[in-house]
Amino acid sequence: MKDHIQSLLDALNGVLLGKEGQIKLALACLLARGHLLIEDLPGMGKTLLSHALAKVLGLTYNRIQFTSDVLPSDIIGASVFNRDSGDFRFIEGPLFAQVVLADEINRATPKSQSALLEAMEEGQVTADGLTRALPDPFFVIATQNPVTQTGTFPLPESQLDRFLMRIELGYPEPDAERELLRGGDRRRALDGLAPQLDADGLQVLQNSVDDIRVSDPLIEYVQRLVAHSRHGAEFAFGLSPRGALALLHAARAWALLHDRSHVVPEDVQAVLPSVVEHRLREAADYAGHGGGALAQKLLSGVDVVG
Amino acid sequence: MVAQAVVILPFLQQLSPGIIAVGLFCGYWRTGVYQGRWDYPKRWVKLLLVVASVAGVAISGVGSFSLEAAASLLILAFALKLIEMKSRRDAYLVIFLGYFIIATQFLFEQGMAIAAYQVGAAIVVTAAMVGMNQLVSRVRPLGSLRLAGSLVLQALPFTIVLFLFFPRIAPLWTVPLPGASKTGLSDRMTPGDVAQLTRSDELAFRVVFDGPVPASRDLYWRGLVYSSFISGTWNVGRSLPDWSDEPLPPDRDSAVNYEVLLEPTQRKWLFALETPQSRSPAAYLTRDYRLQSRDPVLSVFRYRATSFPQWNMDPQLPESIRKRETWLPMADNPRIRAFAAQLFTTSGDADGFVRSVLKGIREQDFFYTLSPPQLPRENSIDEFWFNTRRGFCTHYAGALVFMLRSVGVPARMVGGYQGGEVNPVSGHVIVRQYDAHAWVEYWLPGKGWQRVDPTFAVAPARIEEGLRAALSAEDRASLSAFTSARLGGWDMISDLLFWSDSLEHRWNLWVVGYDGQLQSGVLEDLLGEVTSARVGAAILIGGGATVGLVALSLFWRRRPLRRHPVERLFGRFCEALAGYGWQRAPAESPGAFLARVTEQGGLSREQAEPVIAEINRLLYNPGSDWDGRDLRHLRMQLSRLRFHLAFSNTR
Repeated sequence: MKDHIQSLLDALNGVLLGKEGQIKLALACLLARGHLLIEDLPGMGKTLLSHALAKVLGLTYNRIQFTSDVLPSDIIGASVFNRDSGDFRFIEGPLFAQVVLADEINRATPKSQSALLEAMEEGQVTADGLTRALPDPFFVIATQNPVTQTGTFPLPESQLDRFLMRIELGYPEPDAERELLRGGDRRRALDGLAPQLDADGLQVLQNSVDDIRVSDPLIEYVQRLVAHSRHGAEFAFGLSPRGALALLHAARAWALLHDRSHVVPEDVQAVLPSVVEHRLREAADYAGHGGGALAQKLLSGVDVVG
Repeated sequence: MVAQAVVILPFLQQLSPGIIAVGLFCGYWRTGVYQGRWDYPKRWVKLLLVVASVAGVAISGVGSFSLEAAASLLILAFALKLIEMKSRRDAYLVIFLGYFIIATQFLFEQGMAIAAYQVGAAIVVTAAMVGMNQLVSRVRPLGSLRLAGSLVLQALPFTIVLFLFFPRIAPLWTVPLPGASKTGLSDRMTPGDVAQLTRSDELAFRVVFDGPVPASRDLYWRGLVYSSFISGTWNVGRSLPDWSDEPLPPDRDSAVNYEVLLEPTQRKWLFALETPQSRSPAAYLTRDYRLQSRDPVLSVFRYRATSFPQWNMDPQLPESIRKRETWLPMADNPRIRAFAAQLFTTSGDADGFVRSVLKGIREQDFFYTLSPPQLPRENSIDEFWFNTRRGFCTHYAGALVFMLRSVGVPARMVGGYQGGEVNPVSGHVIVRQYDAHAWVEYWLPGKGWQRVDPTFAVAPARIEEGLRAALSAEDRASLSAFTSARLGGWDMISDLLFWSDSLEHRWNLWVVGYDGQLQSGVLEDLLGEVTSARVGAAILIGGGATVGLVALSLFWRRRPLRRHPVERLFGRFCEALAGYGWQRAPAESPGAFLARVTEQGGLSREQAEPVIAEINRLLYNPGSDWDGRDLRHLRMQLSRLRFHLAFSNTR
């Protein structure tokens, strides 16, 4: 199992240079059966990462480019009249894939954004009164431009909460960037990427995340973190129970990536910023979501040892 | 409103029906207002109600401003306030009045049952206040009752502290309670009075003897001395001057020590066996050897006394007293005067005279009854002695005193109680109003006053076995069921009554009877010397302890989860390390902390890593078993690290 994971990481690192941490988080997110939100400026490799993930995991992959005029039927699909048979046939939209890249999701109107909602939470879509199951596994990897950019509709909290993690990629390190410049187009590297896993293999990995054990002192630590986010003056509102569950499950996946049978506080601390930041808001800041400072405040405000 | 009804309920006895009617009417109107059927009463209606009810109280209070009238007025106002309770402030007013009325009730009664009831009433009133502070949409009567209960319970410890330590201030004024009718005896006695009395089973007093209880025939509780007889009525007469110097008892061997808890009588007289000596500063000995209180007995009065049965009263009789105790009205009762004079010449001396009178009572057809025929004002003793021959203690005692006085022997009638029953539960003696009795004392030179009880001659059972044995079947039937049970009807009920009586007795002993004197005794036991600073400190400490207790219970409910033993170990380790300059940030996990210390040169990798692994295994790996040995091992490892860091001096 360790080899599986290592080969996955190696393959991904070969495509996206110098982003080991983010790649690990993204992988942990998928292993924890969570949807992933990547937020960064255009051209930072968001699409590349998501595409690479799908390919390495051996999953079917679709990409939806969100714009302000995308309609829900563009995502889910629509019934089309078939002249030969004389009836309506449902043409599946781009949502019907194991990995869906929702590119620049915050450029779409709320109506189209919410079409993703049901899909992400329930693993199914409803169109023309019929509920259709989505493929399993089903991941949404959404990218969004920073909310400060023009032409964006910020995602509401209810929708943000459905993403297990939100990560930022950031500019590459100088070394990695030089390598990047030397190597030419990364898309070609993507083409040469061989699947390291298939849907069944992924399932095995996901199940072993569930088997990672958690001790009482660690549960208490997570509970203290959540409680602090609810009572602390710097937070506008606290983490929901779903947020707490997400934190623990992401920490499990992180522990699996590090080949541990149990979760240690470092696992929680490692995933906490990406799991928690998009669910919290600074008490005084109603404009947007707090940055890393909030997660750091949360971490430093809670003693690891009860 | 329920709270109001509960508060008023115990007053029903004191209230006239008119006030109850007004209260019910107000309650009815209030319900109407609450349901929105009626409006609040108009101004003139209210005015009319107030005037009418005040007038009603004035009439029923019969002019005198007594406590009962004042209480009635208060309750009336309380009820009337109901119909003009509009704002929140009014409601608070009604609630605080409720508390006040609860306190008022204790002016009338201080029994244990009443106290328990009033605690319940306080809870209900508090619940009403709790209810007022709830949202209208979420009024939960049971919940607020529970909350109020816990509030009152929390107040109890502090109440006890205040009860123990708060200075007993003598009242600025005493309120005279009407109701002489309730006392057992009065200072004037027309034969016929005591008949009613005998039927009442109300408690007169309780006695706790230090030693064994004397026989029933020796329990003559002297309370009053009747010296003057005018037209069929015995009177105590003018009060005698005080002792110039109080006499001392001859020998202390035969002393009987006891403590009396007297129910309120509104009078000053106290009851004691002969011949008493007071042991309480609030009681003193009168010239006719009675104990008397300095103030009227308005609440349960507690006093100690010692009696000396062998001690003769007045071996020498001053002339003024001799005159007083031989005086008779001139022309009254001529037949008995003649009869006595003739009898005295045949019997020779006073002792023989008394013996032959008693013999006469015993042998001729005299009867003991509680419902004797009426006697005329004039020549009443003649009528009794020669014609009706039916009567009870006062009749016989009066006749004997009159005869003794008519032949020149100083004699007087003594009123008080005779006998009493022993409560088998707690061993004290209960004396009830039906134990009231009257007997005779006559004076012999050198021997002093001698007690003689003519009732003994006509109905010896009355003295030996108590009232029931002396009563005829007809008399018995006129007693209430309770009384007859008390007098020995059914065992189980009388057991129950005895048991509740002893409970009530203890309540009187420890709560109602806890007066200033007893308090200073308790305080001395607790604090040594009693100074105001110490009492203040005690109140503060007691109050603080109460608050502390409540706080502690709150804290206990919110106490943190029990810490993992490894977390405790590691916490101590971190505290020690902080002393050497290695401060752990809260966010640093044990592993991260030790790794940092290693990185900064405090420890070597070989030292730190096994400890990190061990801590992580014990704390965070639920799959691995561990026991005390692992803990001890970890403690050793940690102290080794501590030792190393303490002496490495890298910082």
